Amino acid sequence: MPVTTAPALVVRGLVHRYEGEAGGLLALDGAELRLAAGEFVSIVGPSGCGKSTLLRAGAGLIATSPGTVEVLGGTASQACAAHVLGLVSQDPGLLPWRTVEANVALPLELTGGPPRGTLGGIAEAARALVQRVGLERFAAAYPHQLSGGMRQRVALARALVHRPRLLLMDEPFGALDELSREELCLELLSLWEQQRASVLFVTHSIREAVLLSDRVLVMSASPGHMVDEVPIDLPRPRTLAAQEAPSFAAYVHRIRAALGAPSTSTAHSTGDPA
Amino acid sequence: MSSRAARWVRVGLPPVLAAFIAIVAWEAWVAVREVPAYLVPAPSAIVRAFTADPARYALAARTSMVEALGGLLLGSGAAFVLAVAMAHSRPLERALYPLALLVKVTPVVAVAPLFIIWFGFGTLPKMLVAALITFFPMLVNAVTGLRSVDPAAHDFMRTLHATPLQVFRMLRLPASLPYVFAALRISVPLCIIGAVVAEWMAGDGGIGQVILIANGDLDTAALFAAVVVLASMAIGLTALLALLERRLLFWHESSERV
Ligand SMILES: Nc1ncnc2c1ncn2[C@@H]1O[C@H](COP(=O)(O)OP(=O)(O)O)[C@@H](O)[C@H]1O
Ligand SMILES: [Mg+2]
Repeated sequence: MPVTTAPALVVRGLVHRYEGEAGGLLALDGAELRLAAGEFVSIVGPSGCGKSTLLRAGAGLIATSPGTVEVLGGTASQACAAHVLGLVSQDPGLLPWRTVEANVALPLELTGGPPRGTLGGIAEAARALVQRVGLERFAAAYPHQLSGGMRQRVALARALVHRPRLLLMDEPFGALDELSREELCLELLSLWEQQRASVLFVTHSIREAVLLSDRVLVMSASPGHMVDEVPIDLPRPRTLAAQEAPSFAAYVHRIRAALGAPSTSTAHSTGDPA
Repeated sequence: MSSRAARWVRVGLPPVLAAFIAIVAWEAWVAVREVPAYLVPAPSAIVRAFTADPARYALAARTSMVEALGGLLLGSGAAFVLAVAMAHSRPLERALYPLALLVKVTPVVAVAPLFIIWFGFGTLPKMLVAALITFFPMLVNAVTGLRSVDPAAHDFMRTLHATPLQVFRMLRLPASLPYVFAALRISVPLCIIGAVVAEWMAGDGGIGQVILIANGDLDTAALFAAVVVLASMAIGLTALLALLERRLLFWHESSERV
């Protein structure tokens, strides 16, 4: 496939204004972003700096102008039509009347079948992903019977079942406790190693961003724009042990400095800039 | 199994016991104070009025039930279809909402005679009155319900290029069900009222006619018997609805209560 070499996401000079009284609110002013094929990039920034707005523009969920959004060489809506996007939001957004397995099968029902190159039908493909995120015992359970972490696992499986080329994640683990977060981070890393989709990962946790990413973009508020870019040169595949490396603390320190937060030397805080 | 029986005892016994005590007290009060039967008949007299001609009540109940249920389906169905259109278009909602409000504020007793003039003495005018009275609750609830979609789920479907029909079928329709059931719970007693009021105007059958005749004869026991039949109809329909709701809305938080 020749398109594989096209960058997963290119954002140039993006401006977005939310309508409202007094001229509305300028959420993004000249946001720039380039995500190479297969790359894992995180965006950190204070709450309200426009991270979600940027991600939603990348998913074709909001129209922006001026500026351009290019997804895998085409427009965002072309990417939606080609079924190459996967989305995970902070709210899992599961359908409460569907079982875990049926929720995971939803993208395949919308795209009309299991991804190319897989054996079996929609049900088999969905079951495989449910198993992959460790929920086989809950395949027939309904969302209201699951914990928050399990629901987010279902959302992750649902976002990956149709083998998207670009995975967009908006603070996916933000509402979870520390332990579930780490567990899901590792889960995500192993799924990513396997599927090699490009990932744009929005988070407010600096440590999470460093642990996962090839590159961390630091965003600043009012109006939203990039202030720093930190390549993360830690070996892969990564485990939680990566956090012990001296360079890990240095990355965290640098990102925190870029955010303009008081730079304490304790690398053990969760790194919430808010 | 035994815990289920225990639940029935816990939930079902108190109201049954309360009703039993009330009936006994009523019977005693009528007997002791010698209340004239045309004012307040004893419960035993009401039972006797019913058992004297149960077929008459059954036939009347069937007539009223057909009118009420037909009206409920007609009114709620039309309202739901309109709600689908209104939920998809704000301009359409703004255009039609005042008209719907007009339907709501018009008293049924005022339109019932009109319907009888227009549509004669058959089942149809009574169904229409019942339909009219159930229209508004369904319209308002269904519009709200069809719009009550989880934004995260909607976003997800949009990134997969879901068609409006797919969004409707997979997201809006199931999301609206709790609201649809809320409307039906309001509408079940209303549709019975609508049918009976229409029967008073036309007076050619149904429980409404039984009430009219009993009233004319000062046969208060028969009148009470008719009221009990009406109440039983409403209770039966409500129970049926609750059963259906438990089946269909097991995923909804309202079914966690009780
Ligand atoms: N639908 C909306 N209407 C108006 N303002 C909005 C809307 N969504 C977000 N905003 C505002 O735009 C800014 C950026 O929001 P967002 O992209 O959600 O930030 P973040 O995800 O970084 O917290 C915030 O100030 C927020 O209040
Ligand atoms: Mg956000």
